[in-house]
Amino acid sequence: MSDLHAKVQQVFDEPGCATNQAKPTRERKKGCNQLLAPGAAAGGCAFDGAKIALQPITDVAHLIHGPIACEGNSWDGRGSKSSGSQLYRTSFSTDMTEQDIVFGGEKHLYKAIQEIAGKYNPAAVFVYQTCVSAMIGDDLEAVCKAAAAKLGKPVIPVNVPGFVGSKNLGNKLAGEVLLDHVIGTEEPEETTPYDINIIGEYNLSGELWQVKPLLDELGIRILACISGDAKYHEVARSHRARAAMMVCSKAMINVARKMEERYGIPYFEGSFYGIGDMSDALRNIAQLLVDRGAPAELLARTEVVIAREESRAWQRIAPYRPALLGKSVLLFTGGVKSWSVVAALQEAGLVITGTSVKKSTPGDKERIKELMKEDPHMFDDLKPREMYRMLKEAQTDIMLSGGRSQFVALKARMPWLDINQERHQAYAGYEGMVTLVREIEKALCNPIWEQIRKPAPWEHAAMDDELAIHIA
Amino acid sequence: MSQNAEKVIDHFELFRGPEYTEMLENKKCMFENPVLPEELTRVTEWTKSQEYREKNFAREALTINPAKACQPLGAVFAALGFEGTLPFVHGSQGCVAYYRSHFSRHFKEPTSAVSSSMTEDAAVFGGLNNLIDGMANAFSLYKPKMIAVSTTCMAEVIGDDLNAYIKNAKEKGSVPQDFDVPFAHTPAFVGSHVTGYDNALKGIIEHFWNGKAGTAPRLEREPNGKLNFIGGFDGYTVGNMREIKRLFDLMGVEYTILGDNSDVWDTPSDGEFRMYDGGTRLEDAANAVHAQATISMQEFCTEKTLDLIEARGQEVIAFNHPIGVEGTDRFLMEVSRLTGKAIPASIAKERGRLVDAIADSNAHIHGKKFALYGDPDLTLGLAGFLLELGAEPTHILSTNGGKEWTQKVEALLASSPFGKNCHVYAGKDLWHMRSLLFTEPVDFLIGNTYGKFLERDTKTPLIRIGFPIFDRHHHHRYPVWGYQGGLNVLVTILDKIFDHMDATTNDVSKNDYSFDIIR
Repeated sequence: MSDLHAKVQQVFDEPGCATNQAKPTRERKKGCNQLLAPGAAAGGCAFDGAKIALQPITDVAHLIHGPIACEGNSWDGRGSKSSGSQLYRTSFSTDMTEQDIVFGGEKHLYKAIQEIAGKYNPAAVFVYQTCVSAMIGDDLEAVCKAAAAKLGKPVIPVNVPGFVGSKNLGNKLAGEVLLDHVIGTEEPEETTPYDINIIGEYNLSGELWQVKPLLDELGIRILACISGDAKYHEVARSHRARAAMMVCSKAMINVARKMEERYGIPYFEGSFYGIGDMSDALRNIAQLLVDRGAPAELLARTEVVIAREESRAWQRIAPYRPALLGKSVLLFTGGVKSWSVVAALQEAGLVITGTSVKKSTPGDKERIKELMKEDPHMFDDLKPREMYRMLKEAQTDIMLSGGRSQFVALKARMPWLDINQERHQAYAGYEGMVTLVREIEKALCNPIWEQIRKPAPWEHAAMDDELAIHIA
Repeated sequence: MSQNAEKVIDHFELFRGPEYTEMLENKKCMFENPVLPEELTRVTEWTKSQEYREKNFAREALTINPAKACQPLGAVFAALGFEGTLPFVHGSQGCVAYYRSHFSRHFKEPTSAVSSSMTEDAAVFGGLNNLIDGMANAFSLYKPKMIAVSTTCMAEVIGDDLNAYIKNAKEKGSVPQDFDVPFAHTPAFVGSHVTGYDNALKGIIEHFWNGKAGTAPRLEREPNGKLNFIGGFDGYTVGNMREIKRLFDLMGVEYTILGDNSDVWDTPSDGEFRMYDGGTRLEDAANAVHAQATISMQEFCTEKTLDLIEARGQEVIAFNHPIGVEGTDRFLMEVSRLTGKAIPASIAKERGRLVDAIADSNAHIHGKKFALYGDPDLTLGLAGFLLELGAEPTHILSTNGGKEWTQKVEALLASSPFGKNCHVYAGKDLWHMRSLLFTEPVDFLIGNTYGKFLERDTKTPLIRIGFPIFDRHHHHRYPVWGYQGGLNVLVTILDKIFDHMDATTNDVSKNDYSFDIIR
């Protein structure tokens, strides 16, 4: 547990984190873990954060060491897509019982790892600690070490029990796990001057595949994506990349920074959401590769692709303008998405009523201010009740948010579009932005919204009668 | 269709084009060190064999694809059945986020629940302060009429004492002294969600009947001839509760539903957000002590609760999720016996219609083999209905079923010639079911959404009945209880049978001689 404690402190003191660096020294030591208010609605735990960060690695068995709770409720709940193995979608658990709590679960765990290796022969086994196994003192690391030695394959301890903190902290600790146990443990067969890593991209709804063709066209190779559609060996060999892109600025910043420190891989923070941002991402990737010795002609080729793609995207968005002009949108999401889609939506004629900045960095906030010149309405933490009031008073025409806010929107009779992890549409890249605008247009034009805002027909009749009496 | 920057294709279509098929094939051959196709086939076939099944059933430590959830999930379910009640789970917040999304994905409704958000400090020093602060925050933020406390493993492992903690919280002024805070200890490492339901419901009833934690006199029972009704942990609770109330009203029964989730998980889109809606009124929960008898629709969800009620002098009757004609007959006749109310002609007519429908379609179900899995009571109820239809249940599996359940299922099977080739599997998981489906194939599988992996693997068509159902919408709004409910289950089964028939008869000029308009 003390190791874990040290790890948590280390993650809190992440120099690559802009929020962290903006704080005075004393506060920085306290860490960036938002204190939870007991009794108030809260999000997922650190275990969940670690699991969602690592589970996209497709060819490993993810074994949850705990009672049925942690895995029973979360099995295959995330839409990160795989182009190969589907093993990561199989639910492995030690399903601890009272016996284990009393006598310890280490032997049970060891056996479970053995059984997985025997039945599935995965590239590696990732073993997740949970609150219960941590509290009874099961030594996850020792069991994994012993199992790895016995089985001759990597058995990776993910020592991130739920109680250490928030989901976001869990993301970061998952990054530490990769740094400590996976990255740099194997060598690639060959390297090229065009090898990059993409860090913090999870290939939800296959979004990475919307971006990859452009990189392919430019001859840029993704050595490893951490962790969307990743294979274990790719992550293990990722330390030989020439440059890296950090996608979700808060989730795995420690991975990008430490890979820079250890292996000299420069990185930039970018986003695939929004047209300008997609172009910036391509530009930055090319520039970093050229800085590291790739032929300079890559820059010119990249500009050609960007110019072509941008004009194509704008052309395809233009037809939606008449239907969308003047309609208002409330963005309720986190991190980079808070500003990176703003420009595209504005171009389509939409007015942004507000955007949430709960998970955004000061840099994100600056970008929002620049984009929404007149009224940068930012919510730090929009309470569901407040959101509900805004929607109900129809201060906005449509809300874009994640699944958990969906039902609040629908009860307030508000058109709603899912732009978070459980959605089925991919919005990344140039293509994704066109899709997003098209989906907004569809959502706004669906006849049900008119229907849902009207009273029942017999109530209509009653109102007319009343009106008639008044007029008489 | 090729993937290029001109026209980027989403994940549904991406890898289906010839280039990708070819490229992936090449990649496999050149870089993935593939085994020979014969070897692949050999191993695949081996995992379908009797030998593999024996190894699979010899598994001791690993659970693969379990069909059960944890105690606090059931506790949250029970708590949400009461008027203005906020489920408060003492322990880690991640667990509670899971319960909320789990229920929301099934019921397509918001689910409100909070936790005491215990962190590492609380794990070391005890969660008292979290509970005190948490109750105060929950009380002022969400203005509940009652807070029902349960626990996650975290609080249970360190042994937090809810009774003492809640007293402490009241003394510190987190909530008023006379505010209702029933509680139950619900560790996930014991039992499953049905155990948690039982514990939480018992906690609530005990609270109201036994003096509200010392703030009121213990209620003395004065029998008033009314009937209490408990539904249990039920994925169809929205449709079922409404159906049961309709039947009671038709019979003129005076009743109290103990735990009614039908409104809170089915609120209208009319411009008002209802964090709480419907549910058993708290005074009704208290007055339920005076009832003549209590009926539980799910024995294994209410074992301890019924003991408590029986000890207060009521007659208790427990069913096992009755589905179909006979199950409903027995249920209604018990209601009639207990209350002295006759079953009206209108209900008799409904019965006749279900019988008629089964008769119309029986040829398609008769003799078909079924595998089913789910919670102990549901599997019993469904098995009873299948026998009634002339279907042959072949494998009945329940991850959270035990010895008693096994005996009950075996007794049920022994009561019908259609049950004689069926085996019962308690405490097994869906990977065991996979072996069963390969070694002793059946025509159809009945289970929850997670059965779709088995369907894909074994090609056994899946009929979705159970909890959770994430990938089909709104079936929870239709009852499976009552004669009307039996009709719904019948139609669900028939639809799959006919869909399967169409799907296997539509190859042009190969087998479409059976592709018929009339089925």
